[in-house]
Amino acid sequence: MPNQRFPKVQILHIAPHEIKFILSETDVSVANTLRRIMIAEVPTMAIDLVEFHANTTVLNDEYIAHRLGLIPIRYQPPESMKGEDCNGAFLPHRECVCYERCPRCSVEFELDVSFDEVNPLRAEEELMAPLTVSSQDLKTNNESVIPAHFLSQDEQDEAQDAGVAIVKMGPGQKLKLKAIARMGTAREHAKWSPVAVATYRFWPVITINEEQVATLTMEQKQELVDICPDRILEIDDLTGSIKAVENAWELSTYTEDIKFHQDSLKKRKEDDDFVRIEHSADKFIFTVESTGVMDADEIVMSSLRVLKDRLNHLAQEVENLKDM
Amino acid sequence: MNAPERSSAFLLDEDSGEQKCVYTADTKVTNAGTFRLNKEDHTVGNLFRMQLLRDPNVRFAGYYCPHPLVHFINLKIQTNNSTVAPVEVLGSAIEDLANETDHLITQFQESIETWKRENDTEMTSQF
Repeated sequence: MPNQRFPKVQILHIAPHEIKFILSETDVSVANTLRRIMIAEVPTMAIDLVEFHANTTVLNDEYIAHRLGLIPIRYQPPESMKGEDCNGAFLPHRECVCYERCPRCSVEFELDVSFDEVNPLRAEEELMAPLTVSSQDLKTNNESVIPAHFLSQDEQDEAQDAGVAIVKMGPGQKLKLKAIARMGTAREHAKWSPVAVATYRFWPVITINEEQVATLTMEQKQELVDICPDRILEIDDLTGSIKAVENAWELSTYTEDIKFHQDSLKKRKEDDDFVRIEHSADKFIFTVESTGVMDADEIVMSSLRVLKDRLNHLAQEVENLKDM
Repeated sequence: MNAPERSSAFLLDEDSGEQKCVYTADTKVTNAGTFRLNKEDHTVGNLFRMQLLRDPNVRFAGYYCPHPLVHFINLKIQTNNSTVAPVEVLGSAIEDLANETDHLITQFQESIETWKRENDTEMTSQF
């Protein structure tokens, strides 16, 4: 094990729907592997099969089935299994031994909405207005698996609808169906992806050549500070030199304005740069946003477990090759 | 009609005897060979390549995915001398990466717990 690294993690912010962290002392390949796994290989639940019993709405069966598939389905583990993802609670349906489906590999949702039944119960001013069927109308048979109607309480308070809209209904229309959710990964279909955003940025390394900067006049220094649209530089009041602002790593977008402009400030063309902004090769700023199916920090933990299992499996396979 | 199974992208075709990992030694170059990793993609391909290149025993390591519609990668490795086989360097590269992942898991658990304690927010979702 001579080539093992010991990466560091620094959490910047955690919210249920978002996590930001800095991963350092590792390689782009590790960062990219994590990103790819979070997008495509974290197991989640999504509606995969739909049985229609009645559909007289304006949307056809396939269209509604597709819309149902895209609704985020949240698995909330019972208190005793906190921190687990749905991998522990469900089997992939292809691996399950049951004949067609069973509670071990699927969750059933019932939806039965009829305009004429709901209409009389509505408020006076809403009578006969189009009725929106939403994810709120999906009735689950497993209390720990429910549709994620909204990302947060704030979003719910601002929303016009009760949940994720599925279809709108007029008088006389009816929709009755049974939807079966299964566990899967986004390698099969993007509806199983737990993330809306999973990206990393390179940490900017800002080096200031003090010797070169000393040859500039105060006006030229100010010019260099002002030319950068990201505002990542400032004049150091104590030394009169240029320094990077404290949160330069957040602001930097690697614009090339400084790079091009400083050539015009140089006495000779071959002089060293005053300021250089480079990508760090071993430090990454991650942003992960959840769709609502899992908390963002659980997505990260789950992706690491997926990677661990994958590596163990491959290590075993390679070990088998040695014996041959 | 002739669409491949959705699962063919990530499940081994056991009916046709597909193996996860197949090694073919190079016929012309010594200490070299190709690993065909079935149902794998750039996620582990690039990870293994970069880790192998950090090993001083490795002279060459590269991978390619021949076509976006086929679900395997070829990982080519050549070692420096005949005392270490490509299988061995790949084995130790995977072991290093597994240990690194273990380290990352503990790092994340600790820093997430610390962050939640310091920021004292009830992180359970409202739903």
